[in-house]
Amino acid sequence: MNIATLIFYVLGFVVQASALTVAVSKNLVRSIFMFFVTLFALAGLYVYALADFVAVTQIVVYVGGVLVLMLFAFMLSNREVLNNLQERNSRFFSIQKVPAILVAVLFLLILVNAIIKADVDNMAWIKISAQNNNVIQPADNMVPNMGVNLMTRYLLPFEAVSILLMMALIGAAHLARKEEHKFQ
Amino acid sequence: MQPKQNYLNFYLIYIAVGLGLFGFSAVFALFGVYAERKVSAFIQDRLGPTETGKFGLLQTVADIVKLLQKELITPAAADKLLFALAPFIIFIAVYLGFAVMPWGPGLVPVSLNLGLFYFFAIVSIETLGILMAGWGSNNKYSMLGAMRSVAQVISYEIPAGFALISVVMIAQTLDLQQIATQQGILSTETTKFLGFLDVSHIGGILSWNIFRAPHLMVAFVIYFIASLAECNRAPFDIPEAESELVAGFHTEYTGLRFGFVFLAEYSMMFLVSMLGVILFLGAWNTPLPNIGVVQLANWTTGWGWGILWVSVKALALVGVQMWIRWTLPRFRVDQLMDLCWKVLTPLAFACMVISGLWRLLLM
Repeated sequence: MNIATLIFYVLGFVVQASALTVAVSKNLVRSIFMFFVTLFALAGLYVYALADFVAVTQIVVYVGGVLVLMLFAFMLSNREVLNNLQERNSRFFSIQKVPAILVAVLFLLILVNAIIKADVDNMAWIKISAQNNNVIQPADNMVPNMGVNLMTRYLLPFEAVSILLMMALIGAAHLARKEEHKFQ
Repeated sequence: MQPKQNYLNFYLIYIAVGLGLFGFSAVFALFGVYAERKVSAFIQDRLGPTETGKFGLLQTVADIVKLLQKELITPAAADKLLFALAPFIIFIAVYLGFAVMPWGPGLVPVSLNLGLFYFFAIVSIETLGILMAGWGSNNKYSMLGAMRSVAQVISYEIPAGFALISVVMIAQTLDLQQIATQQGILSTETTKFLGFLDVSHIGGILSWNIFRAPHLMVAFVIYFIASLAECNRAPFDIPEAESELVAGFHTEYTGLRFGFVFLAEYSMMFLVSMLGVILFLGAWNTPLPNIGVVQLANWTTGWGWGILWVSVKALALVGVQMWIRWTLPRFRVDQLMDLCWKVLTPLAFACMVISGLWRLLLM
């Protein structure tokens, strides 16, 4: 086993172990910080898929943005509410957990089924691409490729997403605005 | 056996480079603090440290020795794990930023084709470390300091980001080493001074990015102001405003942990200055142009000169940071946000638009 494979498995282990800790931990703030470990290790796995742009974007968007916002939401909320949230039913199995367990098991079944049916090693389009030498090398610079594709082939979805974000921003600004008549 | 030997050398070089950069940031922090105290003393008409060593040169060395011996105090109500980890996360985030910084022609720890984007991502982890310190301390001053710091850093990332994008639009690459190479005589494409005069073989100060496209001067000023805010330095030091918050997010830290917070702050100062130099002020290229037979630019380009130029320029910017800190009073929160959202962000947008037009029409 060479070093690259070893690091891959270490990263995979870290992702799963930290994700499990996030779900199990009783301390909500520690959960959020543990989520940072999950996201960071996941970015490492993206690098192994030669998607380094996605890896770096993941860190910018999730670590620099989403996680910090989650922490902010946490710190600005009421301590009483948080304490109620943190008080848990310590029994391993209870009737309230049945729906969650059901959804989790079904989702696992779907995932396993999809992975088995996809048969990744023998997919037609992958074989054709490999035959035509249409593959990415580790040293390739994918940024221009991505930019050109975003501005040509995927322009409509790109613009649709930007309009969605714009709507969210306008909505947030409207909600945050003070009502004028209150001061009269 | 041979390939294994090569692998070993490969990793040994990386480890040596890593240790070298760590040593550099430690030494820089030591003498940065000394310089800060001397500069502040000069500006306030005092003497500063004079007793320890010649001109007080050993003062900060003595300080760090004292700091290393101090007890690590953890407040009883703190979240022990988060409290202990935070200073290291803050420092590592800054330290990892050095990985993509070019020091001279062919002299860069990792030449990444995503360099600038990587830098932006890895430095943003620092905010998480600050929140961790603030929350972990379980102290209201730390908490307020951390929240102010994060609010400020996130707001100022927007004008800084647009200022950086306007450079990238001119340079057409995210690789910091390529951006550096373009601004001197080693460039493989034609470099134009102010968009009309071909200076590919003259080089020097004329081919720096701020002179290749003059609107980048505005972008540089925006970037520099935003970088002050990202280092939490005066006039943007409301996160550690002594008169209100004791010392902000690092109020509870002692000993080595406090040392790491300090190390991170000074490394960050150097790092953002170095990035400013690389993007706007010609990176490791010489400021001296070729004039006829006096080939000043050719004589003063090389990896040794590269390290010298990039260090001198970055240290000059650090000097300006110190000068500003001891000259200007602290902003109020509302003034800080007004400056960011109403002045810097629109200006940075304008820079980006001009960059696009410049690239299309003049290059």
